[in-house]
Amino acid sequence: MKLSVLAWRRLPLKRRVIGAFTLGAAVAALVLVIITYGLSRQSMLQQREESSQRQFFANARQVQSSLRAEEPNFTQLLESLPSLSGSRSIVRTGDGTWTSLSLTPNDLPTALIGSVLESRQAKTMEYRLDDSPVLAFGLQLRPSAPSAFDEVAYFEVVPLAEIESTLESLALILLAGAAITVLVGVGIGMWASGGLLRPLTDISDAARSIAQGRFDTRLEEVTDPDLDALVASFNEMAAAMEERITRDARFSSDVSHELRSPLMTLRASIDVMQHRREELSGRTQQALDLLNEEVIRFENLVQDLLDLSRSDSGPIEHDLVNVEELARATLDASQSDIRFEVSESAEGALVMGDKRRLAQVLDNLLRNAEKYGDGANRVTIDSSENEIEIAVEDSGPGVPPSERQLIFERFTRGAAARKRGAGEGAGLGLALVDEHTRRHGGTARAEGKENGENGARFVITLPRAGRR
Amino acid sequence: MSIRILTIEDDERIRTAVRFALEDEGWSVLEAESGEDALDNFNSMDPDVVLVDIGLPGINGFEVCRSLRRASDVPIIMVTARDDTHDVVAGLEAGADDYVTKPIAPKELSARIRALMRRVKSESKAMTPRNVGDLEIVPEQGVVRKNGEAVHLTKTEFHLLCELSDQLGKVLSREHLLEEVWGYDYFGDGRLVDVHVRRLRTKVESDPAHPRHVVTVRGMGYKLQP
Repeated sequence: MKLSVLAWRRLPLKRRVIGAFTLGAAVAALVLVIITYGLSRQSMLQQREESSQRQFFANARQVQSSLRAEEPNFTQLLESLPSLSGSRSIVRTGDGTWTSLSLTPNDLPTALIGSVLESRQAKTMEYRLDDSPVLAFGLQLRPSAPSAFDEVAYFEVVPLAEIESTLESLALILLAGAAITVLVGVGIGMWASGGLLRPLTDISDAARSIAQGRFDTRLEEVTDPDLDALVASFNEMAAAMEERITRDARFSSDVSHELRSPLMTLRASIDVMQHRREELSGRTQQALDLLNEEVIRFENLVQDLLDLSRSDSGPIEHDLVNVEELARATLDASQSDIRFEVSESAEGALVMGDKRRLAQVLDNLLRNAEKYGDGANRVTIDSSENEIEIAVEDSGPGVPPSERQLIFERFTRGAAARKRGAGEGAGLGLALVDEHTRRHGGTARAEGKENGENGARFVITLPRAGRR
Repeated sequence: MSIRILTIEDDERIRTAVRFALEDEGWSVLEAESGEDALDNFNSMDPDVVLVDIGLPGINGFEVCRSLRRASDVPIIMVTARDDTHDVVAGLEAGADDYVTKPIAPKELSARIRALMRRVKSESKAMTPRNVGDLEIVPEQGVVRKNGEAVHLTKTEFHLLCELSDQLGKVLSREHLLEEVWGYDYFGDGRLVDVHVRRLRTKVESDPAHPRHVVTVRGMGYKLQP
C-alpha cells in the first residue's frame, strides 16, 4: 500500500490528475450503473409478477368454477384460458393425475409442488426451465360444492426470458454509458491538468528564456489569485536578477574602460621608447622589455576580463561561419608550425556564431598549449550530422583526469601550469573558451590523447548549422 | 605629402603619447581637447584623417562624428574603450569610417590610418564609368548620379559601391569587402560592412527598406544589381 502510494506520487502531476479524474468517473459510472440496473430489474420483475399473479388468480378461479361440473374437461378448460405472454398451465387432481397442454409435472420444481399441496395458500417460485428463467405460481383449490375431486392444484408457469433480454440490453446500454463517462472523465482530466499545468509551463519557459540570456523576460499578469502571488514573485525575482546582472556588467565594463585609457597611454609611450631603443643603455632596454611584457599581460588580462563580463550578459553576434576558414586564418595568424587536418565530412562545415569569439576560443587553446603543453602540434576538425568537433593537441605533460573539469574555471590553473612558474597567465584563457563555447550552444573538454601518447587534447564541439 | 591627423581626445596624457607615436610614423598631428574645440577649428586645421574618442565630455564623440560628417568627407576613425555592439554600431551610424578599441597599439592605429588613406588614393582603380540601373558611377571623378542627380557619398561609401559594381551581380562576402575596402584580414568586423551598406542604401536606393540595387544575400554577403 505504502509502495503504491509512493509509486503514485512519483508519477508526473499531469498523469496523476488524469488518473484521478478517470478513477472518479469510473467509480461514479459504475455505482450509477449498478443502482439503475438493480432498480429497473426490480421494478420490471415486480410488474411482471403482479400482472402474472392477477392473471393466475383469474385463471385459478375459472378452474375452480369448472370443478362444479360433473366431469370437468380440463383439457378444454386449459385451452380456453387466456395466456398472458406465453404462460402455460397444468392442473393436478387429487388422484395425482396431471393435465396440461404443454407442461409435464417434471417441468415444475418439486419444492413448489410440495409446498402448494401442503397449504391452501398461493405459492410463487422463480427458477430456470430449459435454461430460461420462469416464474411459477401454484394454488390448491378446494371445490366449494361437492365435486368429483377433492383436491385440485393449479399451476402456471410464466416465462421471464423476454424481461431478461430487456434487462440485458439495458445493462449493455448502461455499460456503454459508463464507458463514455469514463472517457469524458479522461478528457476533462487532460483538459483540467493542461489548465493546471499551463502556468507551470509558462514559468519554465520564462526561466529557460532567462537562462539563455534574455533577462527582460517576464511572466504575464494573471487574474487568478492563486497564481497571482507566484507570478508576482517570479517577476520580482527576474527583475532583481536583471538589475543585478546589468549592474555587474556595467561595473565590469566601467572598470575595464577606466583601465583601458591609461593602458593606451602606456602602450603608446612604450612604443615611442621602443622606437628609440638604440638611444637607451643596455640596462634601460632590459627594463623597457620588462615593462613592455607586463603591459601586454595587463592588456590581455583586461581584455579577457571584459570578454568574460560581456559573455555573462549581452547576446552574441550571429553569422554563418565556415569553421575550416576560421581555423586556417587563426592558425595563420599564430604563425606556428601546426599540422592541420580537416575530415571530409567537416569540409565547408558551418556554425552559427560570432567569428571573432570563435577565433578567440581557438587562439586561447593554441596559447594554452603554447604555455603549458610545449605548443600545439595538431589541430583537427571533424564533423557529424549535427556537430562539429575542433581538437587541439599538444605533446606536453597532459592534464590529469582530476583537473580536467577544474581548469575551465576562472582564475584556475592546473598543477602542471603552476609548476611552470607564476609569470604566465591569469587562468582566464580556458574559462573564456568554456564561456564562449557554451554561449554558442557547444561544449569544451580536456582529455588525454587517443592512443595513450603523452599530451593533452582539448576538444570543443559546436552545433552544426545548415549548409549554404 | 605629410598626412595631417587630428586627434580629438580629452585625456591629455593619451593625446600626447599618441601624438609622439604617430609623429614617429612621420605624420603631423593636430590636437583638440574637446568636440567643441575640434568643430570650431576644423576648417582651419583641415586634417586628412580624424581620430575621435567616443567618451568626450561635453558633446560626445557620436555627435562630433555627425557634425563633421555634415561638413566633410574626411575619414573618421572612432576610438572607443567600449567595443559593445551598441557603441560600435552607434559610432558607425554617426558617420565613422572605421573604429579602433583602446588600448590600440600605435602600429595598428597607423595601419588603419594607412588603409584609409590608401583607399582614398586608390579608389579609382577601375576607371571606367558604369551604369547600374538608374545609377551612374564615375570612378574617375568620384561621382555617383541617380537619375542624373549627383548623390553625395563619403569616400568609404563610394569605395564600397565601386567594389560592388566591379563585380556586378556577383555576391561578395563581408570578408572580401572588409579586405578590399577597409584592408582588414579575415578577422575584420562584419558590422563595418553592414552599417556602411545601410548608409549607402539610404543614399542610392529609392526605398532603402526594400533595396533594389544593394541586395543582402543571407549568410553569404552582398551584391549589386541593376
